[in-house]
Amino acid sequence: MNGDFKTSGFMYAVALIVIGFVVVQSVFFLVKSLKRARELGIAKETLRTTMISSAMFTVAPAISILATVIVLANALGIVLPWIRLSVIGNLAYETTAAQSALDFWGDTLNNSVTDPQKFATITWAMTLGSIAPLLLLPFLCKKLQKKVGETVNKSEKSQKFGDAISAAAFIGIVMAFVSREIYSVTTQTVTAENAAGQIEKVKMISGSAGFMSILVLICAIVFMLVLDIVCKKFKLTKLEPFAMPIAMFAAMGMAVLFTNVLPENLVSHGWFEVGAEYIKG
Amino acid sequence: MINQKDYFDRVHRWGILWNIGALLVLICIPVSVCIRWNVWPEANALLSIMPKLMALYWLTAIVEVITYVPLLGPGGAYLSFVTGNISNLKLPCGLKAMEQAKVRANTEEGEVITTIAIAVSSIVTTVVIAVGVLAFGPYLSVLTEGTLAPAFDYVLPALFGSLAAGYILKHWKIMITPLIAGVAFLYFVDPTMGAGTLMFITIVVAVITVLVLNKFNKL
Repeated sequence: MNGDFKTSGFMYAVALIVIGFVVVQSVFFLVKSLKRARELGIAKETLRTTMISSAMFTVAPAISILATVIVLANALGIVLPWIRLSVIGNLAYETTAAQSALDFWGDTLNNSVTDPQKFATITWAMTLGSIAPLLLLPFLCKKLQKKVGETVNKSEKSQKFGDAISAAAFIGIVMAFVSREIYSVTTQTVTAENAAGQIEKVKMISGSAGFMSILVLICAIVFMLVLDIVCKKFKLTKLEPFAMPIAMFAAMGMAVLFTNVLPENLVSHGWFEVGAEYIKG
Repeated sequence: MINQKDYFDRVHRWGILWNIGALLVLICIPVSVCIRWNVWPEANALLSIMPKLMALYWLTAIVEVITYVPLLGPGGAYLSFVTGNISNLKLPCGLKAMEQAKVRANTEEGEVITTIAIAVSSIVTTVVIAVGVLAFGPYLSVLTEGTLAPAFDYVLPALFGSLAAGYILKHWKIMITPLIAGVAFLYFVDPTMGAGTLMFITIVVAVITVLVLNKFNKL
């Protein structure tokens, strides 16, 4: 059998069912939340702004998720990565899970999987590796929400404290991601032949923070600050929800510009050499 | 209008039901592949692959559930964990929506706003990917190889840079220490550490910073 089974009508039918499920669930929660928001007296304008800015904010990351679909499509056809990245999946996990499975046969994401049994095995691995949150949520979600809610909403004093802690938690999260754009390395375990001709597993560097990631980070911050100041100074309240997506797109545009105009050694600078073996310490 | 407790109870009930539905749909994907092509997964391969994947992703899942649920609220959490791409999309989207609507996490208003933001984000993501795959499939290599490729290589610094900027003006005093702690940890301890784990450290440092600033009335 050739690799066509991966993009057969059957696989597309499976994809449409899964994607249909995700959309129906999202619409269900959207409708219920909008109804509750109206009951709580949240202004229509606030709800409209939330929806528009969330949609705008999503476009660029969604296109980058689409790019991951393309990377995985070499080996797995376009349908399975499409399914996986529409439900539970995320950029880092899907590539790692697929590569770990392919490693078992000494294969890589560059080669098309043509054996249905291999394909089925990879599909199982990707599914079983990712379902843990869905098994945990029914047991933990209510308890966690109740506990945190009780702590931060007990009294006015603890509400204020809760506000400060919430702000700190938000900032802590954002700073974790910002830190990784300043200094980090992404590795991937692959099978390779050593000097003695034996096959062994090694950690290869597949990505590294460096000059460009820091530059794009700074550009996004500057664009956002400028837009924020402009919105406030000229009272452009209608532009405010779009400020963040605009800053994001502008910074991504700068990445294209820098790649084309800056010297190659600067553009390709990373704290770690991509493609090299990662040695701890 | 039902009270807050009853509303949250309903959200949990809906969430658990959709959660179970999602689990069934997910398991049906490999099952249907096996039935359609009459094959079984290779047991040896699965036994070799799964311990590694589970050690990494099941442990991460525990950390993620504990970290994200209090921030996203139950509706946002149930929806995010089914639709995926939390750290790179749903979480920043929810945080931004709460900040913009001037509501706080762990309140009913916060819960409703994050759920709306995450639901819209999930629908848009699904549509963008579906349209991309179905209508532009043959031309999509432009995203990974063409002139536009750098734009998508650097989508995360662009996203988190613009998100961080919102806090610079208001909370710059709280930002400095977690940033230094995060970079120092990556530099001196483990540069491979993912943001999902690193955020435990940066959150703790940010909270300590708030407590100290609060003590000296410098917040």
